[in-house]
Amino acid sequence: MDTVVDAPVKTFIQVTEIWVPEGDRLVLATGNYGALAAFEEATRAVSFGKGEGLPGKAWAEERPVVLKGFDGSYFKRIEAAAEARLTSAVALPIFDGKTLKAVLVVLCGDDENRTGAIEVWEEKDGLMMLDDGYYGAAKHFEWVSQHTHFPRGQGLPGGVWSSDTPMLFRDLGSGYRFIRADSAGKAGLTTGLGMPVPVPSGATFVLTLLSARGTPIARRFEMWDARPVKVGKEKAAILVDGICEREGPLWTDDTQQEPRRVGAHMGNIGKVLASGLPEIFTGSPKLTEGYDSMVAVPIYDDGAIAHIVAWYV
Amino acid sequence: MQKLVVIGAGMATGRMLEHLRDNAPEAYEITLFNAEPRGNYNRIMLSPVLSGEKSFEEIVTHDEAWYAGNEITCRFGEKVLSVDTQRKVVTGEKGEVAYDKLVFGTGSSAFIIPLPGHDLPGVVAFRDLEDTTAMVEAAGKPGSKAVVIGGGLLGLEAAAALRLRGMDVTVLHIATHLMERQLDPAAGYLLKKDLEKRGINVILEAQTKEIVGDGRAQQVNLGDGTELPCDIVVMAVGIRPAVKLAQDAGIPCGRAIKVDAQMRTETPDVYAVGECVEYAGNLFGLVAPLYDQAKVLAKTLLGEDETFTMRELSTKLKVTGCDLFSAGDFAEAPGREDVVYRDPARGIYKRLVIEDDKLIGAVMYGDTADGNWFFGLIKDGTDISEMRETLIFGPAYQGGGSADPLSAVAALPPDAEICGCNGVCKGDIVAAIEGGATDLGAVRAVTKASASCGTCTGLVEQVLSVTLGDDFVLPTAQPVCGCTDLTHEDVRRLIKVQELKSQDAVWQELGWKTRNGCHVCRPAINYYLLADWPLDYQDDAQSRFVNERNHANIQKDGTYSVMPRMYGGMTTPEELIAIAEAAKKYNAVVKVTGGQRIDLLGIRKEDLPAIWHDMNAAGMVSGHAYTKGLRTVKTCVGSDWCRFGTQDSTGLGIKLEKRLWGSWTPHKFKLAVSGCPRNCAEATCKDLGVVCVDSGYQIGVGGAAGMDLKETERLHDAKTEEEVLDWTVAFLQLYRENAKYLDRPYKWLAKVGLDWVKDVLADETERKALIERFDISQSVYQVDPWAERARPGEAEKFQPLADLTVRAAE
Repeated sequence: MDTVVDAPVKTFIQVTEIWVPEGDRLVLATGNYGALAAFEEATRAVSFGKGEGLPGKAWAEERPVVLKGFDGSYFKRIEAAAEARLTSAVALPIFDGKTLKAVLVVLCGDDENRTGAIEVWEEKDGLMMLDDGYYGAAKHFEWVSQHTHFPRGQGLPGGVWSSDTPMLFRDLGSGYRFIRADSAGKAGLTTGLGMPVPVPSGATFVLTLLSARGTPIARRFEMWDARPVKVGKEKAAILVDGICEREGPLWTDDTQQEPRRVGAHMGNIGKVLASGLPEIFTGSPKLTEGYDSMVAVPIYDDGAIAHIVAWYV
Repeated sequence: MQKLVVIGAGMATGRMLEHLRDNAPEAYEITLFNAEPRGNYNRIMLSPVLSGEKSFEEIVTHDEAWYAGNEITCRFGEKVLSVDTQRKVVTGEKGEVAYDKLVFGTGSSAFIIPLPGHDLPGVVAFRDLEDTTAMVEAAGKPGSKAVVIGGGLLGLEAAAALRLRGMDVTVLHIATHLMERQLDPAAGYLLKKDLEKRGINVILEAQTKEIVGDGRAQQVNLGDGTELPCDIVVMAVGIRPAVKLAQDAGIPCGRAIKVDAQMRTETPDVYAVGECVEYAGNLFGLVAPLYDQAKVLAKTLLGEDETFTMRELSTKLKVTGCDLFSAGDFAEAPGREDVVYRDPARGIYKRLVIEDDKLIGAVMYGDTADGNWFFGLIKDGTDISEMRETLIFGPAYQGGGSADPLSAVAALPPDAEICGCNGVCKGDIVAAIEGGATDLGAVRAVTKASASCGTCTGLVEQVLSVTLGDDFVLPTAQPVCGCTDLTHEDVRRLIKVQELKSQDAVWQELGWKTRNGCHVCRPAINYYLLADWPLDYQDDAQSRFVNERNHANIQKDGTYSVMPRMYGGMTTPEELIAIAEAAKKYNAVVKVTGGQRIDLLGIRKEDLPAIWHDMNAAGMVSGHAYTKGLRTVKTCVGSDWCRFGTQDSTGLGIKLEKRLWGSWTPHKFKLAVSGCPRNCAEATCKDLGVVCVDSGYQIGVGGAAGMDLKETERLHDAKTEEEVLDWTVAFLQLYRENAKYLDRPYKWLAKVGLDWVKDVLADETERKALIERFDISQSVYQVDPWAERARPGEAEKFQPLADLTVRAAE
């Protein structure tokens, strides 16, 4: 494992936090606030009831929520966010069936130089339609996406929807000649991670993270398959796909090499397998593949963790 | 240096070159031709490149740097025009090259059905990057349509990829179900349903009539009149070996280039490998046998013996979210039996085909977790008769591993002490790992954890595994038994760290896989608990071996032996009279033992309480000849009687035995005291032996005189009897607290090292603490078990309890 930490980069996501239910409140489990200490301090003082603030809204509405522009909104930490120059956020509820396990919240700043996309797609009338998204400086791509829909099996949202599996797309801008792909290329978007977001209502949501090289959402992505139909009855996960700026492809062709496999408690992915909760790991680059931080999110299906997606920056 | 020319830079020749360069980099001067303008890439991963789930750069196996580094002359993008096997030259588009050895790796080409219109632009195969690029180009037009002819592996991968690219896709397949060579109809049905869920249109039993279009493929017409407009037609109906060049060169071919088991063609110095070969009538399309061939050929070229053998193959489809697996033969035939499992709600289908008590085929859809296990059974021809009933449920039903073997260590808080010797906590070890100590040696160097006695090594390794995940490979350790994945050492340490004071606590907190252990682990756990927590834990008779339960040694005829204690081998006329009377009364055979005691053999079980009562009445207690505990202290007559005796060895032996008797130990523990170096008490082959000398007492430990023969090693030279007693008690307690159950001291010492033991005992504070803990234990356990059971009314209690769920230890 390479332990050389790269020079700091300007990241698309500035704050990542995980809220977990405790009684009738959501309390902060862990967060990565970077240099935004004041915002962190303000956050540690709050908790959310069902319907309160952004995490509470995702809990109450049982769906991912995008919030752009905090002024006058239901966002609870408006002043602290304003001081930290955070302007937008996305809340991702993580459900195991009807049980809320956690809410993952990412916050971004309004910066003309930050490019990327965090999108929520929802199935409507047999098509994947953009529910909302945050795009930073990628305004044209935002406009194009608002006017794009995906049938089953097509593109990243349609592919995730039809396969019910997270997917990792490369070269977003080069392969697709559609307007959205063309625009993605112009915006500098390179890698796209799509993941299903199961919710109690059975509605179909797909979250996509589209990362640009200059202001990456992540510099390393991993997708782990933990379904018992794939790994057996033992709680475990195998690395089915991944790409890293420094290490290159992380997948293995299983005719030549077995994929990486971890059991419960084995390292960071093993911790998610064991706890069933999303985790943020910071402060020990040795344990996060040489990067500053790692976010690992479980995706549930059929009463168990089916997949874990992880991103590092 | 000999000249090797290779035609074709595919996966098989690529692997062959790797073997050659790895094993004999100087053996050949190599020239590599490839018609494609690039080197070796992982062709079977073209499907995800087509879908956008991989980039081409990711699937390149050998880049320019690799060829340069291995000094291979590359003639890429240059077709070979001819081979002259007489002159031994290969002629490419840019000229000739001579060879000493020639390898054909020309692969295969796609089979194109000679339909009308098959040669129109827009009809592509799916073999190489050019085909892939053509498909990506076609997918670039919004609303574009693709027709894929062929519902086999490659066709379906292309179809799914093109769908992801945004095309409307129709798959035409001539058979009644998809992938009919790899799947049965039921699995084919599920696959079709899965593809349709992705928006792919599948037409079975399709009779493709023609491809039509104005200057390029624009529509596929079927025999039933169906018209399918399209922008591209992908022909994926099979491959045929590319052998024309070889045929033209006069190299004997059948359906492909004929080779023997060493990959030699029938032409001298000409070899072939990969999809272009025919071996024993077989052609090859999957990668696994190609790699086998590559290895064989490399050895052949190096003059080594190797033989290619056919092997069973399994199939996987590379469509994200489609989980299917098939292997072996699953055609219906007389004498074959099917085992089928279906879960309609989850879209799972599993079918096993059994013949002559062997698994010969497996088809799985939706749940492929056990695919490799079934594949192994097929390959190995395993007799499955004993697991036939549960076979379909996979290895977990045949007795699998723990669900969560690391849970106990993961649950430890950061302040839990892992290394007792050096006081290292889990948090210290994690901090060291985070700081860059990523193996056991580094953790030892930084923290000193496991650097002393080493018994916590397993736990330190587990902390490494918990922290680093699969970056640390956990060594295989011998678990206590099938009830747990933890070793004895791990269990001992965790009992201390987590302050586990009951068997139930151990079963629960250490994740035991059984309800209450088994006959292997229960005696050990019972010992560890009573040794570590003498005041909290109550000895469990049901967790003891039969001799310890009955407080007598069972003999081969089912009777028991009874042996009263004789401290230091000394007795009295009164004791001897009592023994003699008991021998007559209970019809015993009398034997003088090597441990300087008298054994009464042949006592019936029902007489045991009565004879114990008689012995007690004469002032004698159990000799514990049946225990994993303190046995005897053998002595010589010493300075009181012997001309050579230097000290009162008998008196010291008696003092030692009176101090130590009744204590439980990991295995039996024997002592001896010799009055002089002539060593009449044979003290130098005991677990602990004292040899008296003029200047004092030499204490040796770790001797053996049973299956193994070993002389003691010097632990300490003591000046006084008091010092001997202190060091002996402290040593015994250290052994009691640290050794693995059923390790005699010499085995334990071999693991922890005598130096560590010396260091610990030399510390006066530590020595006194050990003595104190031993005395606490003795306050509970130095009781005569005979006395308790010899009382009228209590005698029945030494019978085993009637809890039938608890299998007594035997």
